[in-house]
Amino acid sequence: MPEYKGMVQPLRATPDEMRKIFAEPVPDEQKPEKALEYLDEIRKKFRSFVVAMESCVKCGQCAENCHTYLGTRDPNNIPANRAELIRKIYRRYFTLEGRWFGKLVGAEDISLDVIESWYSYFYQCSQCRRCAHVCPFGIDTCEVTFIGRQLLHWLGITPKLHAAVGGAMEKVGNHTGLPKPGIIDTLEFMSEEIMDEFGVEVEFPVDKPDSDIIYIPSSADFLLNPYTLMGAGMFFTYIGANWCIPSTVTEAGNFGLLFDQYYTQRGNVNRLLNAAHELNAKKIVWGECGHGWRAAKMYVPSMADRPVRWPLTHVHDEAAELIRKGELKLNPENNPYPTTLHDPCNYVRACGLNDNMRTIIKAVTVDFREMTPKGEDNFCCGGGSGILFDDPEMYQRRIQLSQKKADQVRATGIGKDGHGILCAPCSICKAQLYPMVEEHDLGVEVKGLVDLLGKALVWK
Amino acid sequence: MKLLIGQILPYITVTLFTLGVLYRLGRWVGPRIVHNITLSPWPKTNTEVAIRVGSEAFLFRNLFRFDKALWVGAIMMHLALLNIIGGHVVGFGFLGEQFALIPGLGITPELSTEMSDMLGTVFGILLFVTLLYLLFRRLTIPHVKLVSKPSDNMWLIYLIVLVGVGNIMRLFHDFGVGYEQVRDYIVALALFQPVTHMELLSNGFFLTHYLLVQILLIVFPYSKLMHLFGMFAERWIVNRVYKDPAPGIPNIDVAAARKAGIGIPSDDAAEEGV
Repeated sequence: MPEYKGMVQPLRATPDEMRKIFAEPVPDEQKPEKALEYLDEIRKKFRSFVVAMESCVKCGQCAENCHTYLGTRDPNNIPANRAELIRKIYRRYFTLEGRWFGKLVGAEDISLDVIESWYSYFYQCSQCRRCAHVCPFGIDTCEVTFIGRQLLHWLGITPKLHAAVGGAMEKVGNHTGLPKPGIIDTLEFMSEEIMDEFGVEVEFPVDKPDSDIIYIPSSADFLLNPYTLMGAGMFFTYIGANWCIPSTVTEAGNFGLLFDQYYTQRGNVNRLLNAAHELNAKKIVWGECGHGWRAAKMYVPSMADRPVRWPLTHVHDEAAELIRKGELKLNPENNPYPTTLHDPCNYVRACGLNDNMRTIIKAVTVDFREMTPKGEDNFCCGGGSGILFDDPEMYQRRIQLSQKKADQVRATGIGKDGHGILCAPCSICKAQLYPMVEEHDLGVEVKGLVDLLGKALVWK
Repeated sequence: MKLLIGQILPYITVTLFTLGVLYRLGRWVGPRIVHNITLSPWPKTNTEVAIRVGSEAFLFRNLFRFDKALWVGAIMMHLALLNIIGGHVVGFGFLGEQFALIPGLGITPELSTEMSDMLGTVFGILLFVTLLYLLFRRLTIPHVKLVSKPSDNMWLIYLIVLVGVGNIMRLFHDFGVGYEQVRDYIVALALFQPVTHMELLSNGFFLTHYLLVQILLIVFPYSKLMHLFGMFAERWIVNRVYKDPAPGIPNIDVAAARKAGIGIPSDDAAEEGV
């Protein structure tokens, strides 16, 4: 059972699974010592981490602003306390006050228990950055849990889910393990679906050399969110773009951001740029994936290991731009149901997509209602940073973590008649919310934003 | 005692404080801002950055937006503290006559001294009360209690005692010290002259207040008080100018594509498709 001394923990990857993603597990008895060694190394590299370690005044403002704490009421899920799990070690070994005053300033010796608590609580954090957004100083607990997860990964502790995703990415270039023939089959099937449902001819070119743009869809769109990929296909066809999907990177996500920002994330970035290079593309357009878009937009420049010749934009950026220019003929009546927008954390607090999402949703729906709070103040869906664990204990946690979102959706009243649309344009949000809207009985259906755009396009 | 607190310790304090702060800041400068972690919606110009950081630093914008009760306590406390530190500098520097130096207001030196006294009293009491409020908050609000470490409460108590002693000197003139005495003392210290004979060093309240301040300054670099600098260091990382790449898909002409009917099946194809 995935629990350690009363703390819930996600199922962890086996040593063999860790080796597949090029990590060698450290034996338990060496873990504390190695953890300190890695921590010492990493604290000398990341200023965001050091300043977060040394500036918190414990004002407590982050507590009531964290959906994880609101949903679980576990003191260690208060962002300040979550960071404290690692700060107490940092204090003890790397600061004068911690060495001299110990417990008084909350310093503590490292032990296996501490490391196990990291695993429990850093994988309950959605890394949504709402605490950074509300902190009077802007202290980003996300940076702390990023580094906590990195240390855990180097020690050989990574959730099975994340390791599997990393392994699949390494092998086939997407998280679902879908190989190229499967991709082509699925895309052909989607073309047929579009013809049946919308009566338009849409082709999904794969690996077409000299495409002007390569589109990077989330691999979940092949299986779970087909209308998102179909919407994107219709959009690109509608505007007459010379586009293709590269078969080597059929994944907008980059779980490296979430568990290993060194080898895994960098590897994925270079895999992407190699694809753009080989297809001689001019531009890279990103699909609906929150953390993946952050990993691309904000991390490609610092991880590319080469000059980046390809501008990166999100499909929402492109659609919103064309809507503002009046180049798309749209019929909002095609999306007649009351709709609200869940703002994916990475879009609004890390990538500035706030306005563009609203430009689109207002143009393609009849009855759009904002939730409160909205935009950069919005709460996470509770699945952020890929904590979509399915084992019974963690699944119960996920229901708790999505409590705040459920309350917000209910307050908009869109699900009153049982046919509301909860637009959540991010694959992790979708994967979290599909089951959660049922658990909380919200009377809404979860959709992407490109889904709604595709439906609203007027072809003739 | 006089020799230690009044003559020797001040030089040690200034040295340790300066070196300590520099050491701590140095620890922050070494590691780099590795990746761009600007919080969006991001500022588009440096002016916007200055407004954002300024409103956080001086108006406590986020506290105001998300926790009004904390905002009131925090901003009043810091405002009072700022005025008191400033008051110590100009009050002792100009012997309370600083307001008379402002041209065009017609304030007499006597009036200025009275104003100086009054402002010091008001802000001293305000600081004392707001510190009590913050301590009360730490001890009563469940989630604040949950994040507090012993040192968080101890700092507040320490400051309450420090300010309390200061207030006693301010409110009861028998226990107080004159502006002139302090100025002469500081000047003597700065000129490395002996000060042990000075009258103010016989005042127990002054010695206590002065010792507490010196201990505070020595410990400052290793305490949460470093948030004075940490705030700006953190904002420097998370509030920076970011410019989006221009949107626009290369080589598209939407109007022409629509005119050509791309995607619309010819009649035969439509029939076959169904």
